[in-house]
Amino acid sequence: MSPLRLLKRLFADPALSRRRQFLRSLELFEGLSSTELGELAQILHARTYKPGEVVFAEGDVGRALFILESGSVALTRRGAGGAEEPLHTVQPGEFFGEMALLESQPRTATATAAETSRLHLLYRAKLETLLQSHPRVGVAVMGHLARLLSARLRRANAAAPK
Amino acid sequence: MTPRRKVPAAAVLVPAAVLGLAAYRARAALTPFLLAAAFAYILDPVAVFFEAKGLRRLPVIAAGYALSLALTAALYFALKPLAVEQGRHLIDRAPAYARALQTYAGAAEGTLVRRLPLPARVSRKFLDDAVSAALARLQNAPALLLGAVPLLAHAVLVPFIGFFFLKDAPKAFDSAIQALPSRYVEQAIHLASEIDRALGNYLRGLIVVAVAIGTATFLGLTLLGVDNALAISALCAVTSVVPYMGVVAGIIVGGAMALMQFGTFAAVAKVLLLFLGIRLADEILLQPVVARHSVHLHPMVNLLALIVGGETFGFLGLVFAVPVACVLKALLAVGWSWYASESGLKSGAAGACEAVPYT
Repeated sequence: MSPLRLLKRLFADPALSRRRQFLRSLELFEGLSSTELGELAQILHARTYKPGEVVFAEGDVGRALFILESGSVALTRRGAGGAEEPLHTVQPGEFFGEMALLESQPRTATATAAETSRLHLLYRAKLETLLQSHPRVGVAVMGHLARLLSARLRRANAAAPK
Repeated sequence: MTPRRKVPAAAVLVPAAVLGLAAYRARAALTPFLLAAAFAYILDPVAVFFEAKGLRRLPVIAAGYALSLALTAALYFALKPLAVEQGRHLIDRAPAYARALQTYAGAAEGTLVRRLPLPARVSRKFLDDAVSAALARLQNAPALLLGAVPLLAHAVLVPFIGFFFLKDAPKAFDSAIQALPSRYVEQAIHLASEIDRALGNYLRGLIVVAVAIGTATFLGLTLLGVDNALAISALCAVTSVVPYMGVVAGIIVGGAMALMQFGTFAAVAKVLLLFLGIRLADEILLQPVVARHSVHLHPMVNLLALIVGGETFGFLGLVFAVPVACVLKALLAVGWSWYASESGLKSGAAGACEAVPYT
């Protein structure tokens, strides 16, 4: 084995490479460099949720954005009769709870792991710290969120009765 | 959906109180672990920096330790001749310093007795009483400084334990997150992030301030020609981890040294000006950078924290008083934010433009 390969084997972190690869595949982090994705990977918290575990409940104060790496998460909302009504099932690569990056308001839905799911949590406080050192990351993430909100508002406007 | 179960407050508060009491009782044994945790916490961003570049944590920490060891050895060999020379100089001149101090004290007493508008015998008694009271207070100073001596004994133990904290803390944190009930994960990490934001910059800032004050003191005292500049600057750097103490220690020890060495008030005034300059530079140049992202505490809160910390835990209490106050402030802020959102006190309105339709 060459000395360079040996050094790489000793020092290089294969787990980070995998996480970077996953983050690169997300629309939210489109256009970020490898180093920026590495910085971002350091501020994400990962947790595995068992089927049926509640990620957050309707009415909880939102603090983080959740990115689904594997599994699936059901989003439900309490209906008029108090029964849970399904809203959407989040698939790998999608994210939810993004309003927490903009404001600390109560959640408007409940998120429950439908199967064993690996989630990454991105916090506003951590993101803000990263923004101070890497403003480009913030511009990319916030720009994407703004486009997403704009698209949702357009859709809501179109669906609203004239 | 999992039904919301109400946890009685006593179920959290009673174990927390028992743990707190046990930690207080075992504080002497916990000291190296506490210092090692602070040491690892301060150095963690360095490991994270290299991790973000794609390197594994363990080799990075090992390489960092090896490099630090080499740097410490280099610093030791570079400063040893100067330290030995200054130490020898101090021992040689100690009798002369004592004589100068005695002469100065006698002269000062004579002048004061003449100038005080009281009978000579009364003035002399008044001065003797004042000096006795000051000496009695000074007797406590060695005890306080001696409180810091056992900490020096941890010089090897702290980096050793700190290595394991540095290596395993992220894994321990992840395990704790995994073990928490899923409902509380989001809020628990939020709380940890807020504490980290408040505390991290403060603690890391302390190191920057200590190095800056130590270097400025050494250069300033060397330029003024004051003896033992290295020892005094080391004392200032170490004591500056307690707010205001570095400069106060510098003024007292540096001023006394200048007085004994030169025997004039002009020399003391120069030392005083030097330390006031250092304090101002710290306030104007360093603090805005160091404290920019950390929790801002009112000076009175700082003072209260220092008094309570010092009275309860001695020197270690003085060092950790302000960080603990920062944590409490962060906890209060998070608690208030949670309460305000839950009770609807915070509306979350975006402002006047909220009513304008989306176009």
